Amino acid sequence: MKQKKRINMVFYLMVVPMAVLFFCFHTLPFLQGVFYSFTDWKGYGDWNFVGLRNYLHIFKDKNVISAYLFTLQFAVCATILVNVLSLVLACALNAKIKCRNFLKAVFFLPYMLGTLIISYVFKYIFSNVVPAIGKALGIASLSVNILGTNHAWIGVLVVTIWQSMAFNTLIYLSGLQTVDRDLYEAAALDGATGMKRFLKITFPLIAPFFTINMVLSGKNFLMAFDQFIAMTNGGPGTATTTISVLIYKKGFSGGQFAYQSANAVLLFIVVVLISVFQLRVLEKREEKVS
Amino acid sequence: MEKVTRMKKEKVNWSITILLFFIAILFIFGPLYMTIVIALKSPQEMGNVLALPKKIQWSNFVKAWEMTDYPRKFANTLFITLVNLVFTVFTNAMASYAIARNRKKSKFFNLLYYYFISAMFIPFNVLMLPLVNEANKLHIDNVIGITFLYIVFGLPMNTFLYTGYIKSIPEALDEAAIIDGATPMQTFTLIMFPMLKPMTATVAILSVMWTWNDFLMPLVLLSDKSQQTLQLAQYIFQGQFNTQYNLAFASYLLVILPVLIFYVLCQKWIISGVVTGAVKQ
Amino acid sequence: MMKGKKFLALGLVVAMTGSMIAGCGGSSGSNGDSNSAGGTETAAKDEKQGGEVELELFSTKTENADILQKMIDGFMEENPDIKVTLTSESDAATVLKTRLTKNDIPEIVAMGGDSNYTELQSAGVLLDLSGEDFVSDVQEAYLDMVYDVNVDKEQTAYGIPYATNASGVLYNEDLFAQAGVEVPKTWSEFQDVVAKLQEAGITPFELTFADSWTCLPPWNSMAPVIPDANFTDDRKAGSVTFAGTHDEVVEKYLWILDYAQEDFMGTTYTDGNAAFANGSAAMMINGNWAISEFLNTNPDMNVNMFAFPSVDDESKNTVTSGVDVLLAVSNQGTDEQQEAAKEFIRYALKPEVAQSYIDDQFAFSAVNGVEQTNETVSGVAKDIANGKVSNFPDHYYPNGFDLSTILQQCALNKVNGMDNAENISETLTSCDEQYDVANVE
Repeated sequence: MKQKKRINMVFYLMVVPMAVLFFCFHTLPFLQGVFYSFTDWKGYGDWNFVGLRNYLHIFKDKNVISAYLFTLQFAVCATILVNVLSLVLACALNAKIKCRNFLKAVFFLPYMLGTLIISYVFKYIFSNVVPAIGKALGIASLSVNILGTNHAWIGVLVVTIWQSMAFNTLIYLSGLQTVDRDLYEAAALDGATGMKRFLKITFPLIAPFFTINMVLSGKNFLMAFDQFIAMTNGGPGTATTTISVLIYKKGFSGGQFAYQSANAVLLFIVVVLISVFQLRVLEKREEKVS
Repeated sequence: MEKVTRMKKEKVNWSITILLFFIAILFIFGPLYMTIVIALKSPQEMGNVLALPKKIQWSNFVKAWEMTDYPRKFANTLFITLVNLVFTVFTNAMASYAIARNRKKSKFFNLLYYYFISAMFIPFNVLMLPLVNEANKLHIDNVIGITFLYIVFGLPMNTFLYTGYIKSIPEALDEAAIIDGATPMQTFTLIMFPMLKPMTATVAILSVMWTWNDFLMPLVLLSDKSQQTLQLAQYIFQGQFNTQYNLAFASYLLVILPVLIFYVLCQKWIISGVVTGAVKQ
Repeated sequence: MMKGKKFLALGLVVAMTGSMIAGCGGSSGSNGDSNSAGGTETAAKDEKQGGEVELELFSTKTENADILQKMIDGFMEENPDIKVTLTSESDAATVLKTRLTKNDIPEIVAMGGDSNYTELQSAGVLLDLSGEDFVSDVQEAYLDMVYDVNVDKEQTAYGIPYATNASGVLYNEDLFAQAGVEVPKTWSEFQDVVAKLQEAGITPFELTFADSWTCLPPWNSMAPVIPDANFTDDRKAGSVTFAGTHDEVVEKYLWILDYAQEDFMGTTYTDGNAAFANGSAAMMINGNWAISEFLNTNPDMNVNMFAFPSVDDESKNTVTSGVDVLLAVSNQGTDEQQEAAKEFIRYALKPEVAQSYIDDQFAFSAVNGVEQTNETVSGVAKDIANGKVSNFPDHYYPNGFDLSTILQQCALNKVNGMDNAENISETLTSCDEQYDVANVE
């Protein structure tokens, strides 16, 4: 049965040109980046091999270490909060409500808007509107611009959640709609309602959607850039400098091209490790619950 | 029939409905309303940001339009978005078709599949520095070049989406076509591509949203003023908007307005498109 | 019904696309005529006649965009065969470095005499202008300042100093009169003034620390005065550290923060300028470049400047002044472009052009015989004329040493209630660490 069929040449023509272009403009720069990370190239002029010097330097550089710690902290908080809140919102939208399609469309709207512009609008809200409200109500913690405090990252987190919830909610909602309502009735007969019903019946059924969302959002948040550039520019101090912001701000400046290339390679390794880890853990969970 | 009666039996949950409306008004319409109102006001009316403008200042839009050279930036962005859309959908679907149908038969295609998929994990920042360097040498640091790059860079995600969908279409269909004397190219264009419509919708929406709203790639690649996109222009003009928030917000609104119109008109199609992509995997 | 809606949508998109493309075509035509800032490539190509030279003037300051555009318009009127477009964007230094990586250097660069200039100069992309006739038009003292930031301090003019600035204390004359205080000359007098302002119910300082670069000016005023004069060289050699030499600087820095407005960490430069122009506080520690911003908000404001009184010995206190704008030419352009760029510099150095630039910017000119006579900066004009100036210390720190974020962190620590002694030692330790990281290439 398994006789080797000849594959029509046309199939090669369909994919090989794209693959070649992809190699030239995606893989090649990637390999170049890896190559430069072992040199002292400035982005122009001469260069020398420096072996692992750049990498060793990273682990001594406070800026880089704090950027990694901050990015991880941000990504973990954002991933958890976005997914929990989206799940809650999706459940609410899945309840027997009026105007479901309208509400669904409204909550998906943030996905359509560019992060940069959303960030500028919220930056204005945080620096001008919220403090005014805080002062009027006499709440001290609200009367300052949160972006100028230690908690600046929370301001950025709010915007990130605001925008990312749109996509995740929609995915959860479509997952919830695949759950047959008869199952709920059966569960109700067994006395499972509310939280118990959710954990025992609903959640296992939408676990694959949970996996997709966790992996996709985790990866995106590890690379967060737009909202930070627009809202805090990495400040105050270096409090909200993510890895992406650091690579952009330092990568093109004074002799750090090669050094930040090494940083970028490290980021790649971290993203791969975390994604693989997430997939493993979540898939195991899926197996367990189903 | 049975279902209908049960649906009727289930009462509308008014408390959740009201709560959801409340959240929507506070968190979605609120900021949107504020953006619109600020864009329409004069600087003197900024005392109460939420109040309606006494006299609508269309001049804010005129000024923002001229200052950011809106028509050019819009044309650039639209060019990137549309050209990318057309090429992405066709070339990526074709590549995915070849891969999906030959993965089992050929190591080469299987390898290509894993090659593309694994590239999904390479963050743009990692190739950014060398890419910027190459871009000038190859003269692709312009609208046409960046469009080309988007088409290439979308490949991993789109291959992932398309191959997953193609797998669900029985291969007997292509075989029947080939027996009828169709070439693989004809099979793809005449039979497969039309059948991929739901996934094409997904890919199309994701591509459009990505290219319209992307900021980092234009930021590092497009330095020539005449080549810049709408998003990039907002960043660049932050310094010149200064405290003229009305002007800045009018400019933001000019950028999101096309998207809003597009969304209001095609909302059902967009939502179902995005869902297809996620669910069919 | 559904179908109808879809067609409507499609039609709208098509119509929009069509009208936009038409609109864009029309606008590029008019752009070419009016030579507005957004000159377009296609327009330029369409209208390219024999021998037209195109130049890009890249400015790293957004504050001077209007006056540079006027200058360009005037230049193009005299030289119809040269077309100059202005690029002026936020975070221009990073953008310029990105373009350096791409080897896409603008033909003319207008930038500060700082480490960004050093980077461009050391990359070998700037044209040697030493032999040009116009070098003798500018004051030698300022040429020396530019030589000083050449990577090996060679005496070659890769940049022509154009405008210089003054950093110190900007003050609201009306509020000073209201509190009955005079311009302080020493640190003790300064402390008195602040106390009296507070008694009169006036906020002494408006600070805008949400934008990290505005954390630098107080440091830039004190750092050249308080530590030893040799500090920058000794630090480079590694024989001294910030810790032990700059403690007093940080101590005074923290003292200022006690008298700033509420939420100064959350105030942006633009918002703070507007508030200051409307009398929210009596003083702002920043430079002459902010004045035009104040007057945009409140044209009737009576503002003036004085040298930051870092110490009690009046003779030691200086105005911090550096080359705010120098003009450099890329050596990557064609010969015609290089010649045209030199022609532009020659035009910019004309006394009347240089005068209108400094009048608009409340800046000081590097051009011989061009003087700043405006009342609003009269408080520092004399110091500058008498040479009671020091250069910006951060112009001598290595590129990549980001002092502004360290100072922003220091201010944040203060707001968070960190003990001053601890804050001083932490800030200076971090200065030394970051300096060493940046100094090792």
